[in-house]
Amino acid sequence: MKRHLAWWGERALLVLVSVIVLFPIAWMFLTAFKRPRDAYSLSLDFSPTLQNFVTVFADPWNLGDMVLNSVIVATVTVLIAVPCASLAAYSFSRFRVRGRKFLFFLILSTQFIPAVVIVLPFFLMFRTLGLLDTRLALIVVNLAIVTPFVIWMIKGFIDAIPTDSEEAAMIDGASRLRVIKDIVLPMAAPGILTSSIFCFILTWNEFLFALILTRRDAVTLPVGLVSFRTERGDLWELMSAAGVMITVPIFIMALLIQKHFTRGMTAGAVK
Amino acid sequence: MADVRLVDIEKKYGNFLAVPQLNLTIEDGEFLVLLGPSGCGKTTTMRMIAGLEEITSGDIEIAGKRINDKPPKDRDIAMVFQNYGLYPHMTVRQNIDYPLKLRGVDRAARTRRVQETAEKVELEALLERRPSELSGGQRQRVALARAIVRTPSIFLMDEPLSNLDAKLRVTMRAELKHLHHELGVTTVYVTHDQMEAMTLASRIAIMREGRIVQLDTPKRIYSEPADLFVAGFIGSPSMNLIDGAIAGGVFTAPGVSFPVDQPDRDDVVLGIRPEDLEISTAPDAPVIGKLYALELTGESTLVTLRTGANSVCARGPADHEAEINAPCHFVPKPGARVHLFDRPSGHRLDGLSAKGQTL
Ligand SMILES: Nc1ncnc2c1ncn2[C@@H]1O[C@H](COP(=O)(O)OP(=O)(O)OP(=O)(O)O)[C@@H](O)[C@H]1O
Ligand SMILES: [Mg+2]
Repeated sequence: MKRHLAWWGERALLVLVSVIVLFPIAWMFLTAFKRPRDAYSLSLDFSPTLQNFVTVFADPWNLGDMVLNSVIVATVTVLIAVPCASLAAYSFSRFRVRGRKFLFFLILSTQFIPAVVIVLPFFLMFRTLGLLDTRLALIVVNLAIVTPFVIWMIKGFIDAIPTDSEEAAMIDGASRLRVIKDIVLPMAAPGILTSSIFCFILTWNEFLFALILTRRDAVTLPVGLVSFRTERGDLWELMSAAGVMITVPIFIMALLIQKHFTRGMTAGAVK
Repeated sequence: MADVRLVDIEKKYGNFLAVPQLNLTIEDGEFLVLLGPSGCGKTTTMRMIAGLEEITSGDIEIAGKRINDKPPKDRDIAMVFQNYGLYPHMTVRQNIDYPLKLRGVDRAARTRRVQETAEKVELEALLERRPSELSGGQRQRVALARAIVRTPSIFLMDEPLSNLDAKLRVTMRAELKHLHHELGVTTVYVTHDQMEAMTLASRIAIMREGRIVQLDTPKRIYSEPADLFVAGFIGSPSMNLIDGAIAGGVFTAPGVSFPVDQPDRDDVVLGIRPEDLEISTAPDAPVIGKLYALELTGESTLVTLRTGANSVCARGPADHEAEINAPCHFVPKPGARVHLFDRPSGHRLDGLSAKGQTL
């Protein structure tokens, strides 16, 4: 009987937490399909419309441009950060070089610096270079933020792979790079994919730098949200529609991570 | 084909000296077996030859060339790993094929050789599986197949048959012996199985704490163990080792007296193998005690007697029967070897040539 109670208590708690976490998200999704006059009502009884999505993609909001900026910035960042980070992570994981621990700490320590501290230097730097309000600037900044994190994450995955298969491959006649390509990458693939998605999400959601470094041309989705706060008031239904545009890709990716996360790729390599 | 020379090889892990100053020459075409207790440095030695472990000091030469700094792939070695080291994301076929692929063998030849090798190790039905879908013994056979699919100048095999059932192990042993005969490739082989060591080896190196205690042909390792360690390590059941003293040309211990031609001294260990003793009723037998245990092994019975603090075992006929605690006498068989060792150092007593004494 007691166990029964505990079981119900546990479920209740889970439901409660889920409701608290999911409520704002659900609210946003609902609002995205409401007409302006329904936006403030609590009632679930409204006639849904897709008009908000049409509006945000039309002049003057042009959400399409922001989607494009976000997609380009996040994709290019991932495409550069993940290969570099994979090689770095492999080196940190496998090579016993002097000062390795310190170097790794140094790379990680960049994560301890609050973004607000470095946003101004970055601003001045890009102004000097004439790169303000460009995607390139955002990509560079995001790389700086994301790469150390991804190195750390991928290193964890590579650490977990036993070295035996790599050694076997080296004896079978593979060079170090070949070993990485044929053995390490396939075995670390689920981890690297997970890290890539993480990296994408981080970049996709990045707000502070994008806010300071862009004005018109390179504005990304999170920054774009701010433009729905107008002198006519906050346009909640449009903001929600844009919010949905930001959230949906992340949802999909989170689902993908889950699927790959549970797949044990190293099974069967060693005794 | 190549010979391997290890010159003053040393391996330290931090402060731990795993292999101190090892010298070993493996002749071209030789089948050398490394034998020794767990943790004595067999795998470490192999890994140094393969180039997987950096050597702390010393030189490794293959075919007369110093190869200390050569990466594994340039040493032309094939290796069976103690814990397999398979490629988990590849099928069995791809696993076996990988060394051939890396060396640019053409596709038709590869397919043929993979098929042939798979047949040798009885894996042909499992070629499309992944390692995670195989049993331990099957995985081990994949590791073996991957090593023997090509003809390198050196084979390194770290307990390649340890996980197979008794029957398959004998088949594979014969297969390896045949392969060695056919290809004549220099082979270094680690095993815990004495039978494997005896049957396969051209020479056996007995290792202990990173040192080679004796390096000799299987026959001489068996008949003339260099010290107490080797004497106790080789043979199953192991050699009877009895503490005693020599006085007036006779070795004596409680219940034991053997005539020996050695000067008088204390602290002597006499060794005699169970198969060199037989059961007797002679009242003046050299070993006299009470029957302690009878163990039927199939083709013979192991008879153990107790005398004083010593147990002595003899291999008797399979139909031997007696009462426990009944008086029991052993005499050496004609041509039996008696070995004498110095207790403090463990060394053989009968001179540098380490010749066993024949009664
Ligand atoms: N990477 C390592 N770091 C520290 N010590 C090690 C390392 N690898 C091996 N050793 C030590 O070196 C010694 C020799 O190990 P090795 O693996 O060569 O033994 P082995 O003879 O192959 O034993 P087994 O028969 O159990 O396989 C052991 O005492 C072991 O603890
Ligand atoms: Mg070992």
